[in-house]
Amino acid sequence: MPTFKLDDRDIEFQPGDTIIQAAHRAGVDIPHYCWHPGLSVAANCRMCLVELGPPPGRGPLLLDVLRYDAKTGEYVKTKKPKLVPACQQPLTEGMEVKSQTSEHVAEARAAVQELLLLNHPVDCPICDQAGECRLQDYWLSHGANKKRMRDEIVHKPKAVSFGPTIVYDAERCIVCTRCVRFCDEVVGDHVLDKRERGNLSEIVLAPGRQLDHAYTLMTEYVCPVGALTAKDFRFKARVWFLRSVRSVCVGCATGCNSYTDFDPRNQTVYRYRPRDNERVNKFWMCDEGMLDYRRIHTGRVLAAQAGGKQVAVDAGLDAAADACRKIDPNTSAVVLSAQHSNEDNFALLQLAQRLGVTRLFLSGRPEGEGDDILRSEDKNPNRTGVIGLCGLQTPGSFKDFAALAEQGNLRTVLALGSDAELPDRASALSKIESLVTIATHQGPFVKAARVVLPASSWAECDGTFVNRDGIAQLSERAVRPQGQSQPAWKLVAGLASRLGHDLGYKRVADVQAALAPQERSGAAVQEAGATA
Amino acid sequence: MLKRTNYLSHSYDKPDGHTLAAYEQAGGYRSARKVLSTLSREQVVDEVKKAHIRGRGGAGFDCGMKWSFMPKESKKPHYLVVNADEGEPGTFKDRTIMERNPHALIEGCIIGCYGVGAHAAYIYVRDELHLSKARLWAAIEEARAKGYLGKNPFGKNYEVEVYVHTGAGAYICGEETALLNSLEGRRGEPRLKPPFPAQVGAFGCPTTVNNVETIAIVPSIFQVGGDEFSKLSALHEWNDGGVRLFGVSGHVKKPGIYECAVGLTLRELIYDLGGGIIDDRPLLGVIPGGSSCPVHLPDEIVDVPNDPRFAPYNGKSVLDLPMGVDTLRGVGGMLGTCCAIVMSDAADPVLALHNLMRFYRHESCGQCTPCREGCGWIERILDKVIEGRGSIEELNELHEIASNITGNTICAFGDGAAQPALSFVRKYRKQLEDYILRGGQSQTRTLEA
Ligand SMILES: Cc1cc2nc3c(=O)[nH]c(=O)nc-3n(C[C@H](O)[C@H](O)[C@H](O)COP(=O)(O)O)c2cc1C
Ligand code: SF4
Ligand code: SF4
Ligand code: SF4
Ligand code: FES
Repeated sequence: MPTFKLDDRDIEFQPGDTIIQAAHRAGVDIPHYCWHPGLSVAANCRMCLVELGPPPGRGPLLLDVLRYDAKTGEYVKTKKPKLVPACQQPLTEGMEVKSQTSEHVAEARAAVQELLLLNHPVDCPICDQAGECRLQDYWLSHGANKKRMRDEIVHKPKAVSFGPTIVYDAERCIVCTRCVRFCDEVVGDHVLDKRERGNLSEIVLAPGRQLDHAYTLMTEYVCPVGALTAKDFRFKARVWFLRSVRSVCVGCATGCNSYTDFDPRNQTVYRYRPRDNERVNKFWMCDEGMLDYRRIHTGRVLAAQAGGKQVAVDAGLDAAADACRKIDPNTSAVVLSAQHSNEDNFALLQLAQRLGVTRLFLSGRPEGEGDDILRSEDKNPNRTGVIGLCGLQTPGSFKDFAALAEQGNLRTVLALGSDAELPDRASALSKIESLVTIATHQGPFVKAARVVLPASSWAECDGTFVNRDGIAQLSERAVRPQGQSQPAWKLVAGLASRLGHDLGYKRVADVQAALAPQERSGAAVQEAGATA
Repeated sequence: MLKRTNYLSHSYDKPDGHTLAAYEQAGGYRSARKVLSTLSREQVVDEVKKAHIRGRGGAGFDCGMKWSFMPKESKKPHYLVVNADEGEPGTFKDRTIMERNPHALIEGCIIGCYGVGAHAAYIYVRDELHLSKARLWAAIEEARAKGYLGKNPFGKNYEVEVYVHTGAGAYICGEETALLNSLEGRRGEPRLKPPFPAQVGAFGCPTTVNNVETIAIVPSIFQVGGDEFSKLSALHEWNDGGVRLFGVSGHVKKPGIYECAVGLTLRELIYDLGGGIIDDRPLLGVIPGGSSCPVHLPDEIVDVPNDPRFAPYNGKSVLDLPMGVDTLRGVGGMLGTCCAIVMSDAADPVLALHNLMRFYRHESCGQCTPCREGCGWIERILDKVIEGRGSIEELNELHEIASNITGNTICAFGDGAAQPALSFVRKYRKQLEDYILRGGQSQTRTLEA
């Protein structure tokens, strides 16, 4: 591979790379606002300026500038080299690029930083971006100078609602056009554009439109400053109190990689952010997925129930064991869940085997809207995984299951998850004599159950999900199990031991060790690159 | 060296000079006929190269060279785009061509199209130039009626059409790539280069953008012959050939447009053609070619020791340096559009600088941080200076702001705003200080007397 020199480092590049692309891949950050690895190059912020060594056989291109000599009271004519934006400049073999080692670059970037803050309101104390804002970060690293312009700033509209999800503050906007390019290039919806000129420029909605496509929250995410904020997150948390784990969105079968941001003090999840993965979601997530974190804290099953009463989990397990002791393979079934991880489903499959239950079914959330950007119509994160675990014993559909129940042929059913894939057929569940449901959320299976065991959600336990393309990905635990809930695999193991079967699962790693390699995330999990 | 010519301006004082009849009587359309019936595309480009026409739009790029960058063969159509936006303050030469000799531009378009392999030329006219548009539309009609435009101009099977497209009054749309965006119906913002217009121009196709005067002078090249035409210039040796329109405005007795051989000096332009300074007052300064060029003082001396070509001029006043693209560049100046703005000592350079910077703040397209914010900051500081609220501390920031705009932006607007600011603060620092410390000389604090 060809190489170039960035300051004192030799870095490899691929033909066609710009300086910033190759540096980014090598993990070297060249300061930037407008460049984003998933969007076209606008080269308008000028933060990424670098100095190039002169082309072979030629002198550097010099520009006339002035210095002021306060002692003599005279201006001194001097020259400076022409700098180039690293986001626009293609690389050639042996190119010498100075980023951290050029005084001219340092001066130019400090100037850009000062100019960006010239008319900026600096309302960090009430800005949700504070703590993860490039204006703050680069101000510290590029001069940290006091503001020289003391006059009233140029005032522009603040707190403009762009639609159901996003609020725009034109004073905080640095007009980098990332949001415009995202809508144009990724979503194909020209709903944002710029109006006015010069330092009056601002972002506006297309006439008669709202920012209302399926990926609006990504505009907030690509915005490098606090100009776009998400209505959902505004004024809810300060980001420096949040911690992050690497997770996988369970909103649909695409399995976008995400970060779960939570406050460890109150064990509350506040948001998801996309985690770069070239193979799955590139840099993006959809609105549905971004807001799906809310399910972690709503509609949950937080305690065991038996005989219509809330009971301790142990009592619930005892009641479930009682129900299972009567299992007759001819009149019983196990329902797996496309919402749950491989770990949970695998444990349940093991128990089904020990109990001799051969009728397997698979349920999950009903189908929804899909598109050819990211969203799958299958709103379940692990259908592929569960089918894989079942091997040759392909599970039946919820439709078949409902038909069987309708005929009154099911006495004892052990179900994971509470979702009826066909909600209008859910009434069939009432025909089941003894339904034991292990579920995270309220739903038809919980409603019809004799015994309910509270399962921890995907955010409360490590779990593996296999997306529509067969990629197994690990989602890490963020918060502690909510209420009395326990990971479903653990509840299954408890139930099994009451029935005289030791599955041997004490920790989630024990379950994972039992999974076949392709059912674990192992090599398939992608390390996230630094988010641009 | 003062040498008046009338290749373009022969029709300027005739009331019907803009008509086809008058143009043909003066020998018009013979060049296009000759080119289309006898020359190949390569021969046309070679001839234009020999004439050393430096772009008349301000950047001074060699016209024949620019044409030669167009692909020899391509699957996409080619376009010739004529830049008639003429928004540069102090510049008013292109409109004289469009109003009084529009057929020269149409004939230039025919040859230009042939030279760059295009079948269509778009003339992008600044909207406010109503007479120019009317004259161009009329000229296109006349030429089409004669068959000079259309399927077979001069019997040659080489279709040429010329269209007039009107702008919407933004200075930045004179920048060639912003112009292309505007022509396509997009926001008038400069594009990133590369790709250059010769690769990806109008509607994604190879395009040559030239100034009105650059194209209008092309027929004259084929009247005289490329080499001969170049030699009309005193700067032929500098590859700066032919004749061009010189403008002079401001505090001169006879402001106007004068056609001369290249190589005229500023002194000749101001005192001979311009008739000298109003009330015969002393000259305070002159901006040689539109507001984006550095200002020169009358006592500035040429001092370029390491370029032998400057030997004849070293030690002389810049006013006696022949006005050329490279001569002015050599002394840290810029020829620009070759339309000089003259200030007598009755002018207040602080107000003049303020006025210029107000213009650049207003016209910056706002893409690049340094230009968008820097122009506004400079204007603000000058606002305060002329309102009597300025400080030396802020005066000392002006050159820093401008030095950080120049070279750091997408288009040349940034340099065009910064360079005059740098030259004004350096050359009129005393007047600026005087304003801050003593209130300045202006009673009205406006440019109008
Ligand atoms: C801010 C800006 C404004 C410009 N305005 C004009 C203009 O009004 N007319 C023009 O011919 N060129 C203008 N130019 C120069 C054009 O970009 C381009 O160089 C020119 O049209 C090329 O033609 P030429 O090579 O024939 O000079 C402008 C450039 C800049 C940076
Ligand atoms: S809103 Fe944000 S992303 Fe959009 S242009 Fe402004 S700063 Fe950039
Ligand atoms: S596309 Fe699917 S996986 Fe990706 S963010 Fe949206 S719901 Fe989540
Ligand atoms: S230099 Fe100024 S006018 Fe040119 S692209 Fe940048 S902001 Fe726009
Ligand atoms: S990152 Fe904005 S100019 Fe390169």
